Amino acid sequence: MAEVFKKNKLFAVYTALVIVLVLIAIFAPYLAPQDPYDGNMRNVLQPPTPEHFLGTDKLGRDTFSRIICGTQVSLFMTICVVILLALVGGLVGILSGYFGGKVEMILMRVADMMLAFPGVVLAIAIAGILGGSIANTILALLAVGWAKYARLVRSLVIKLRYNDFIIAAQVNGTKTINILWRHVLPNILPMVVITGAMDIGTMMMEIAGLSFLGFGAQPPTPEWGLMLNEGRQYIQTAPWLMIYPGVAIFIVVAIFNLWGDSLRDVLDPRHE
Amino acid sequence: MFKFKKFLAAICAAGLLMTGCGGEDSGSTGGGDMTTLKVGVTNFADTLEPTQNYFGWVVMRYGLGECLTKFDEKMNIVPWLAESWETSDDRLTWTFKIRGDVKFSNGDPLTAEAVKNSIERAFAKNTRAATFFEYESITADGQNLVIKTNKPLPGMPGYLADPLFIIVDVAAESGRDFSKEGPICTGPYTVESFVKERAVMKKNPNYYGEVPFETVEIPSIDDPNTRAMALQAGDVDVAVNIAAGDIDIFKGNDKFVIDEISSLRVVLARMNQNPDRILSDKKVREAFISGCDRETYNEVLLKGTFIPGKAPVPPSLDYGFDQLTDPNAYNPERAAKLLDEAGWKDSDGDGIREKDGRKLELDFVVYNSRAELPLYAEAVQSDLKKLGFDIKINTVDYNLIDNMGIKGEYDLLISNITTANTGDPEIFLTWYWKSNPDGSNPQNGSGYSNPEYDAKLEQLSTEFDAAKRRQLIIELQQILLNDAASIFFGYPQTNIINSKRVAGVKMYPSDYYWITNLIKPAK
Repeated sequence: MAEVFKKNKLFAVYTALVIVLVLIAIFAPYLAPQDPYDGNMRNVLQPPTPEHFLGTDKLGRDTFSRIICGTQVSLFMTICVVILLALVGGLVGILSGYFGGKVEMILMRVADMMLAFPGVVLAIAIAGILGGSIANTILALLAVGWAKYARLVRSLVIKLRYNDFIIAAQVNGTKTINILWRHVLPNILPMVVITGAMDIGTMMMEIAGLSFLGFGAQPPTPEWGLMLNEGRQYIQTAPWLMIYPGVAIFIVVAIFNLWGDSLRDVLDPRHE
Repeated sequence: MFKFKKFLAAICAAGLLMTGCGGEDSGSTGGGDMTTLKVGVTNFADTLEPTQNYFGWVVMRYGLGECLTKFDEKMNIVPWLAESWETSDDRLTWTFKIRGDVKFSNGDPLTAEAVKNSIERAFAKNTRAATFFEYESITADGQNLVIKTNKPLPGMPGYLADPLFIIVDVAAESGRDFSKEGPICTGPYTVESFVKERAVMKKNPNYYGEVPFETVEIPSIDDPNTRAMALQAGDVDVAVNIAAGDIDIFKGNDKFVIDEISSLRVVLARMNQNPDRILSDKKVREAFISGCDRETYNEVLLKGTFIPGKAPVPPSLDYGFDQLTDPNAYNPERAAKLLDEAGWKDSDGDGIREKDGRKLELDFVVYNSRAELPLYAEAVQSDLKKLGFDIKINTVDYNLIDNMGIKGEYDLLISNITTANTGDPEIFLTWYWKSNPDGSNPQNGSGYSNPEYDAKLEQLSTEFDAAKRRQLIIELQQILLNDAASIFFGYPQTNIINSKRVAGVKMYPSDYYWITNLIKPAK
């Protein structure tokens, strides 16, 4: 591991930043100087001061504390979405790639259908119909995104399917489940991990976007997209309410995108 | 490192693109010979059919429709299409004298017969008409319109000022779909095109007064912040209801004129008291109201653009606001005690109280087109959390509100309501709190019912004496306060802001008249 970091200095830097973010998310309740939910309503829309150094919002809550706690919400939602995407998409992909035939035809036509819709619009529709909540946002993004993973995994599995080591395993009478687990999965995992890592930034943006539109996290959750929407009414009189959550989204998405890129450089076999 | 540079370059490029799109020319409505007026509004109407839903409001606000009577800036009833009216000695017959010089926009003369047809049409098309008054007969005699009723109705001239009774040319309906092309009315402007998001009005060539503009463009800008920016940028000349967060931008800016008045509106939340609901327990309702720091909401959060709420009728109307006592003024300790008494205790330590396995969880329905509503809801959510309430805010589209209110699909439903659409609060106090057996008073979907209240309302409906009416209305309000029937959050100031390119813009307390022929290009 240390060698990998030595060889890829940028990757080491980005990984360190990602770890910092994760730590912030985990320890958010302890790091936030004030309660992100409970403000002093007599002290609303204060510009940045030493006490509230990113100002206060429309209910007198400390913006800095809300942004810190927002890390937890955003990161948790994003990681949930990405892991579920990889699981669902991966499962569908392996099944259709390995077994082929009717299973493949049905699953892939469903995937084609999903891919035919413009993603964000479909996500808005699903989240809108289900009603705004964190769980429904995750569900909506899952419904939209799984097809991409399914296709990717399926094509990887098809490439592996008739390799000698798999045929050999079959001839030896290995159970199908063991073939999938011990021979297929390890071979496709790096690609899935890379795709997932590169998707973290995008998913974070989509989650913030849905929340901004009112389909994601609901008040009073400190979620960045929602905070942007709440600040929108005060863009001219209290611009810090939009600027700082925006900056937070920017920084975190940028870090994850750069990390995803460098992770691909490290894991991609072609680079070795 | 190379990648990082590329990344930076992309950001810079994006920045450049954005600045390239920003600077649109905004001076198109300037200059000396102004023929087009642009007004930024909020529109809830899908069509311009005045008898559908509350769409008549929009027909009137857009300068298209007029009624027999109107309210002036002090809420006095003054002549409009009727030049005078009188009631018989037994008070069962009203005679309205219709102006003789008025024509519909298609050139047809306005006769009493046409008015009769129009009022009958309103009754036929909308059941709300009968909640104002019921008539025995309407007859037309030249320019005299005679309405006979079977009980004395003191509020008649005020009822006929409601936009539901906009006078339309029923004869023209055979060749025209009113809901698609707009009705034929008598106002200064006629419809050229209408969709919910944007209306274009043209000068009415047959108008009986002066019409200052050839064209009026009315974009509906539902987001309050966007509306303020459109006015700042000069995209519109006039904008209504600028929100608390933005009004400071226009104060002290000598390019704009603000007309801000105390409205007749109240922001209230109906409380669903039907048997299976948590709020059917009066103690919980009292605790809820006592737990809300309404003074802070209005004076701090809304920067004093709202007056703190107490009673159903705002202090801008003289119905004893100061002599009413609110038994549920802000007192969180009392609220906590009431909840304890009612049996709601936090036994599992999650901060939310429960009773018989049920959480103290309330569904608070809100719509977004008025900026203050979500703010109130979130403030309440935050205040009441400390008392152990779990308030779930449910944001819905404005068009769903009416129906949800009727069906009672809420625990709390916040809305911004006018209290005197007919000149005094009788209708308002009837619609929302009169008992509703078998759906006879559909607006009251809350399950609130008090026989004493109903009896006093009955008395009010036939009372002509102004002092007695006032006293009854005060007593009615006190009953609602004592019963903790609803929570009254605050009373909005309402505003209309115009750029100095135009003059004569005025906000009326009744909120019915936005675009009038008094709005003219500035000299």
